[in-house]
Amino acid sequence: MKKLDLMLLKVFLYGLPLLVVLAAFACCHDSGMVDGGAGYIQLLNSFAGFVIMVWMMLTLYLSLRLMVSGELRNRVIAKITFMRERDEREAAMTGRATKATFLTSLAVLIFLFWLACFHVSFYRVPPDQAIDGKTGRVSLGIGFYLLENARQEQPADTIRKEYLFDYRGLPVSSQTIILLMILWQIGCYNYSMRRLMNSK
Amino acid sequence: MAKTLPHLKIVNRLQVLRAERKMTQEQLAKEVGVTRATIIAIEGGGYNPSLELAFRIARYFDTDINHIFSIEEDEP
Repeated sequence: MKKLDLMLLKVFLYGLPLLVVLAAFACCHDSGMVDGGAGYIQLLNSFAGFVIMVWMMLTLYLSLRLMVSGELRNRVIAKITFMRERDEREAAMTGRATKATFLTSLAVLIFLFWLACFHVSFYRVPPDQAIDGKTGRVSLGIGFYLLENARQEQPADTIRKEYLFDYRGLPVSSQTIILLMILWQIGCYNYSMRRLMNSK
Repeated sequence: MAKTLPHLKIVNRLQVLRAERKMTQEQLAKEVGVTRATIIAIEGGGYNPSLELAFRIARYFDTDINHIFSIEEDEP
């Protein structure tokens, strides 16, 4: 199993540049060209589809294996994060850097959760609906949805509002947040490790 | 309420022992199975070795562990 994992990992890594080339090729040629194109273009298109399918299945398999196999995790994730444990001092530093990374990541996640739940709007209402002569209003709210498609449609405003500022949760996609968190973890770990190595 | 204990500073004579044997940090690191950075950190007081490493160093210098590592009481 270990040999199979390592072999699949190599296929995954070596397939990556090929995937980039094929993606670039797909960007340069529209689908109409493939349908009416020369035989080699159709062949290349079919090959690209096959490579992408294999690569995606490998990605799914390897990401699941990384979650359950400690040895594979040590081999792969340790390389990605530039972890080095050549002796007991470096192992201790790894532990401290990992703790710092975990705690800062948790803090970032709590902050992101707050940003995702928080709603705030600044708006003006027509003068006939002013309260004590004031037309500017602030609306605060918290929204939590277990599922993305459970977000409720906003009811139509009964009064005409002129929005000055309207914030209803994070505008970025979940993929962006996940990618940023991965980069954050790698960056934070490396920064903590460098600080520990340079400290007396 | 936890009792406030005095801070114990561990000092060592590693640099002296190494100099007596005319050894480089790199050579000592190789002998006891750590990196040169760890030897530098131990000599500078920035890192306290584990008991295992302390005994390994003592064994290498063929001396008692107390001869290399000792305690100084710091103000808390």
